Amino acid sequence: MADPAASVQVAACGCITPFGDAAATYAALLRGECALRPVAVLGRDGGDEVPLALIPGRSLDETAPPEWLAAVRRLSESIPGGDWGSPGRPVFVTGSNFGVGGLYALRRTGDSSFAAWGAFPTCTERLRAELGWGPDVSIVSHACVSAHLGLLLASRLIWAGVADQALVLSFDFLSPFVAGGFHALKILNSAFPAPYRERESGAIGLGDGAGFAVLARGRGDWTLAGQGLYNEMHHFTANRGDGSGFSQCLAGATAAAQGRRVWFKGHGTGTLDAGRLEVAAAQGAFPGAPIVGWKGSLGHTLGSCGLVELAIAIESVRGGRTPGTAGAGGRAMGESVALESFDNGAFDAVVCASNAFGGAHAAFLLCHA
Amino acid sequence: MADPLIARLKQLIVDTLRLEDVAPADIPDAEPLIGGGLSLDSIDALELVVRLEKEFGIKIASSEEARRALASVAALAAYVRERGDPARLPT
Repeated sequence: MADPAASVQVAACGCITPFGDAAATYAALLRGECALRPVAVLGRDGGDEVPLALIPGRSLDETAPPEWLAAVRRLSESIPGGDWGSPGRPVFVTGSNFGVGGLYALRRTGDSSFAAWGAFPTCTERLRAELGWGPDVSIVSHACVSAHLGLLLASRLIWAGVADQALVLSFDFLSPFVAGGFHALKILNSAFPAPYRERESGAIGLGDGAGFAVLARGRGDWTLAGQGLYNEMHHFTANRGDGSGFSQCLAGATAAAQGRRVWFKGHGTGTLDAGRLEVAAAQGAFPGAPIVGWKGSLGHTLGSCGLVELAIAIESVRGGRTPGTAGAGGRAMGESVALESFDNGAFDAVVCASNAFGGAHAAFLLCHA
Repeated sequence: MADPLIARLKQLIVDTLRLEDVAPADIPDAEPLIGGGLSLDSIDALELVVRLEKEFGIKIASSEEARRALASVAALAAYVRERGDPARLPT
C-alpha cells in the first residue's frame, strides 16, 4: 500500500510555548534557556514545588473562561486560510486534558462556570465558537500521542480525497489537576528533568503548549512520511521491558528514511526506563543519528507535544542548526544522544517520535516535499 | 513474636489493594512486592504509596525511591522505620 502521507504536505505549522512562537522557542532552545520554574503543584493550594513551564502571565490555577484561551486565540491568528470546519476543510482538535482541570476547580470552588470548560465536547464546542469554525470538528485524544494521531487521521482524509486540506490543532495547558496527577505518580517531583541522562532518580517537567499544522494535497514545503502509531496493549503505565513498542512504531519512518541521513527528535521526558528504551530503539533503527529531546527546557506539553515539537523541528531545519538535548546534567544514556546543538545542513530528514501512557507510540519522518 | 510494623504493613497492603484471596500472613517478608507472587503493578504501587504517606507521615520523592521502598515487606518496614513519624509506628 502506498504511504498515505506521501501526497499530503504541511502547508503551515506553528506553535506557542512559554518562550513565544516557534521561532522564539527555537531561538531560546539554541541559547540553552529553560522555561521550567519551580511552582507549587496545587497552585494556590500549595504543595511541593515542581518544575512547570507556564505561558507568561498565566497562573496554574484554573479560571473561567480559561486564561489559556488567549494563547490559543493568538496561535490561531497565524493559521492561514479560513472556513475551517466547513465541508472539505475539517478540523481535528487534539490534546490530552482539554481543560479537565476545570472539573477540579468546580469541585474546589463550587463555581458552575468551570463545568463548561471541563469536558472534551464542551471545551471543544466553546473553542469552535471562539475561533469561528464550522461544525466539521473532530476531537482526538490519545494521551501524549494525540497530536500524531490527529496528523495521521487528517492525512488519511486528504489522501482518500475526502478533504483538500485539514487543520490539526493541539493544545494542553497545565492545571493543579494535571500537575497533581503526575506528582502523585512521583514522576513529577522537585527535581528538574534531565532527558536521556543517567541519574539515580528520574523526573519530568510539565509545560503549557499548543501547536497547529495545516495539511494539504500538493501544497506545502514538508511531508510527514512513514507515519506510524503503535500500541503495546501491555499496561496502563508501563512499557514492555524489551522496548519492542518503541521499535515497532519506528518501522514506517525507518522505511521512509532509506537513503537519507536523519537526526532524531525524541520524546525524552526525563523518566529513566522509558528514556533508556527509547534511546536503544532509536540507536537500533537509525545508527549514528543524533538524538535530541527538548522537554528538559519546555517541559512535557503532553498531548500537544507532537505538534509543538514538529514546529520547532521545522524551525531547526530552516535555521540549519538543531538545539541539543535540554536539561539538567548527567551521563547520556547512549552515544547518539546529542547534548550540544549541532549544524544540520548535512541531514536530509528528521524522525519525530512521541510516546504516551498506555504503551502508545508514534513517529513520522519530516522531510522536504 | 511478630514485628508489629511488619504485621501492620501486610494488613495495610491487603486492605488498600483489596486483595480478596490473600491473608496478611500469606505475604512473605522478603518477596518482591511489585512483579512478585502478589502480581502487584505500578498502579497498585501508586495506591500503596499514597496510603503509606498518609499513614506514616513519610514523603516518597520519586518513582525510583518508591520502587526501592516497595522492594519487599522487609524493605518497606526498614524504609518506614527510617523515614516515618515515630509517633505513628505501631509498637
